[in-house]
Amino acid sequence: MSGTNHRDLRIICCVKVVPRPEEVSVDQDTMTIDRANARSIINPPDMNLLEMALQLKDQHGGEVILLSMGPPLFDEYLRVGLSLGADSAYLLSDRAFGGADTLATSYTLAQGIRRIRDERGCDLVLCGEESSDGATAQVPPGIAEWLDMPQVTYAGELSLVDGHLHAVREVKGGHEVLKAPLPAVVSVRVGVNEPRFIDFERKAWAENEAPVTVWAADDLDLDTEAIGLTGSPTSVSGLGQARSVERRREVIEGTPEEEARALFEQLQTFLRVRA
Amino acid sequence: MTESLYGPDQAQGIWVYLEQQGGQLEGVSLELLAMARELADETSAELTGVLLGDDVEALANDAVAHGADRVLLGQDPELAQYRTEPYARVVTALVAEHKPDIFLLGATPDGRDLAGRLAVRLRTGLTADCTNLALEDDSRLLLGEVTGFGGGILATIKCEQHRPQMATVRPGVFTTGAPDESRKADIQRVNVILLAEDDRVEVLERVTEEGADLTRSKVIIAGGRGTRGDFSLLEELAELLGGDVGATRVAVDEGWIGRDRQIGQTGFATRPDLAILCGISGAMHFTVGVEKAETVIAINSDPEAEIFEHADYGVADDLFQVLKPLVDQIKQAQAR
Amino acid sequence: MTTKETATDVLTLDDAAWEQVVQATGGAAAPCYQCGVCTASCPWGLVKDEPISVRKLMHSAQLGVDGWGDALWLCTTCGLCEERCPRGVPITDVIRSLRSVAWRQRNEPAELRTLLWGTYWDGNPWGRPPSQRNQWASDLELPRFSAEDEVLYYVGCTASYDRRMQKNARALVALFREAGVRFGTLGDDEPCCGESVTSVGNREYAQEIIDSTAQLFEEVGAATVVTTSPHCYEMFARRYPNLSDRFKPLHYTQYVAQLIDEGRLSFEHEMPMRVTYHDPCYLGRHSGVYDEPRRILEAIPGIELVEMDHNRAEALCCGGGGGRMWTETPAGERFADLRAIEAAETKAEALVTACSSCISCLDDSLKTSGMEMPVFDVAEVAAMALNAKPAEAEPVGAPA
Repeated sequence: MSGTNHRDLRIICCVKVVPRPEEVSVDQDTMTIDRANARSIINPPDMNLLEMALQLKDQHGGEVILLSMGPPLFDEYLRVGLSLGADSAYLLSDRAFGGADTLATSYTLAQGIRRIRDERGCDLVLCGEESSDGATAQVPPGIAEWLDMPQVTYAGELSLVDGHLHAVREVKGGHEVLKAPLPAVVSVRVGVNEPRFIDFERKAWAENEAPVTVWAADDLDLDTEAIGLTGSPTSVSGLGQARSVERRREVIEGTPEEEARALFEQLQTFLRVRA
Repeated sequence: MTESLYGPDQAQGIWVYLEQQGGQLEGVSLELLAMARELADETSAELTGVLLGDDVEALANDAVAHGADRVLLGQDPELAQYRTEPYARVVTALVAEHKPDIFLLGATPDGRDLAGRLAVRLRTGLTADCTNLALEDDSRLLLGEVTGFGGGILATIKCEQHRPQMATVRPGVFTTGAPDESRKADIQRVNVILLAEDDRVEVLERVTEEGADLTRSKVIIAGGRGTRGDFSLLEELAELLGGDVGATRVAVDEGWIGRDRQIGQTGFATRPDLAILCGISGAMHFTVGVEKAETVIAINSDPEAEIFEHADYGVADDLFQVLKPLVDQIKQAQAR
Repeated sequence: MTTKETATDVLTLDDAAWEQVVQATGGAAAPCYQCGVCTASCPWGLVKDEPISVRKLMHSAQLGVDGWGDALWLCTTCGLCEERCPRGVPITDVIRSLRSVAWRQRNEPAELRTLLWGTYWDGNPWGRPPSQRNQWASDLELPRFSAEDEVLYYVGCTASYDRRMQKNARALVALFREAGVRFGTLGDDEPCCGESVTSVGNREYAQEIIDSTAQLFEEVGAATVVTTSPHCYEMFARRYPNLSDRFKPLHYTQYVAQLIDEGRLSFEHEMPMRVTYHDPCYLGRHSGVYDEPRRILEAIPGIELVEMDHNRAEALCCGGGGGRMWTETPAGERFADLRAIEAAETKAEALVTACSSCISCLDDSLKTSGMEMPVFDVAEVAAMALNAKPAEAEPVGAPA
């Protein structure tokens, strides 16, 4: 354990690679999401957590360690993170992990974090606020629970004060400032910073030499019943295309009163009867 | 398969987590009570509200008036402010004791924070950020409708073997019912037992009366040059829809509204459920800031304006002449 | 830390910075003898109390010191200083080089990072979905470019995604079709030219874009490449390797003027309109193309072209170049406001230009100052002229 010594900070960043939302579609016959033709990107909120991790590293030194779960093709995206300033990366990749919901995903990531913690140390686990494919935001608290660490969700600012984490956390209508011991799990608010661009002095190293360790299910201390589809209590019972990414461009015409009436109909779902 | 604390055969009743702040129940909690009341009636189940805090007894009566058959009330100075671990400790104990079948929470920052922790502790399934709830025809399983991929994909999720079936629901999805003060229900005080380790995180400060944060607004009414500086109807509409007012760079430059309201390339990137754009021409510098809105309505007197290309619904008319009757109709509807 | 916190006047020599600056600028600022004509020429002096000291920026490049402050990022790379520099210093290139050092020192304005990430993930600085690049032309059935075509039409990021600028691209397609030009585009596969990244000075990334785009051009056999934007044209003409003897980038105004000269395109009907033409910096000063756009306008019967006070090499910048489209310029400090006044003074009915940045900045300023002057692209005016009604249908100047 590296403990809480700032000079020795170990930050594990959970990052996800997601298909471009406008390029996925629903295959109505098989009821599956067709992402075969979709290009991928790093989950945009995860760029914010990476920036936050790198800022902490800039201030306190230490190491930024990337962790992801997914197919081998994620390797090239992890290398983008390495070129920004991360020091090493781990990819949990196994067919057995497939089909995981938030319970199984958070469990698998937590077991990956455990192994990294045992080998390298861990003071802080940073996650993105949510993923653009599922948008559930439930994985970070889940990881914290599996690891029995304190959690701070929707953090906008982080600092380390006397070996403790001070975090500004969003709450409804405002914010709160929390003080938590390390290690802790933090989810970082989307858009809190402007992620730095690739550091070209690191790029060749990141692409060719940087360590990206791939761990399969056998490499982790796992309850195989708790991973992948088997370990997922929830299942998808229906799937549909919600709306096209294209705008509808419907024109509402009439007198101003008629137009207002038509808009009023469109706004029904947003109107709440006051108690 | 990971097992939950108990299975479907032992589970009964519907629970709603009652989130409170500043001496009031959150709107989403009232919305959930109204929705859960329907589910409870459909299945002849008991509807329980779970209320934690310090000195919040009066709110239990609100929950009853809004449909709860029972309120489990946990009060302790340690629960005065929401903190993940103490709250999770108390709720877990209650769930283990009473074994609810369905457990609903609001998808607020605190609701999601708690739900994510609880679901793992209870080893059960959680359908997060639902945009609708229903019961499956024969099985009576809870179906949660969620969106993914930027709103492009709609999925229905269920949890067959694990209990409780947990879901967080977006604020504003359901409608709050009118309170019935004559309703009587059982308000049960429950023991609050906390452990020293629940005290790891300290709240140093909590501020809840802040100005708008457009990046988080669910409804945005934005104005541009076409408002000619008159934002009063926009503000009124925003108030009625529980939203915030935004603006183009021009409107900000003109001093009609503060810089903290600017949307676009050099302002905020927003992602509301609804954006109503008033008197905005639609230069790309602006529209990039509303690309992620789920529904866009544009009102502009120029039928050729680019903004209509970026809108789901377009009205080519004078914005004031359209907004006025719209505001009036909403007021009438809400007065009913 | 280096000299950042100390004033630019106080020189604290820093070896690492010296090496970076000298290497980045390659001695380009050496001929500067600090006369200050550049500072006096800079349009920022027209809108700010203090002009930005271009001279000091050149001095710091000569000395190899950093710590340039905001001035470095205000530069729109309009090139007016360069035009007037008695020593021929490539001032805007020096400024881009200093910016490249600032990127390396992580001293760039944070808001510029979005345009790099947009280009990285989405292939365009606006961060718009790559699968929608060709959507503007979905009804036009544009052919995919093949090596036998006369022209590879390079639409560019802004004309592809900005609904206003899509009109320019559509107008240009109409002109091509009228003239029977065999052309094709690269559709959704069209890559970014790298101009935005170049202008904000991230040299390493710009080079990557240039390499990959140039490679694609080579693979498809691009020869005559016609661009919508003068910025893309300047990139291909000045900053791309000479791919082959046949590789010939052209701005569309050059190509359309050529079509007129060759008799392939002509305007039969009268379109009476008094217009003034605004020279985009990257077409005029940076590329020396002043006559062709004017020749196109003058080839249209009925068009009366009047000049603004500052024209051609002396034209005033719109304020949108050099990455300024991604950073906020406070109201009252926008060059385009001054340009709008000059345009209005000509009593022209329309302001015509040939660059999307100029169109958006000028249109914004004209509307803000309440002037009812439309802004058109040269291509739009020419396409309008093709569709102009025969004169007898609606006698000009006839009483209503």
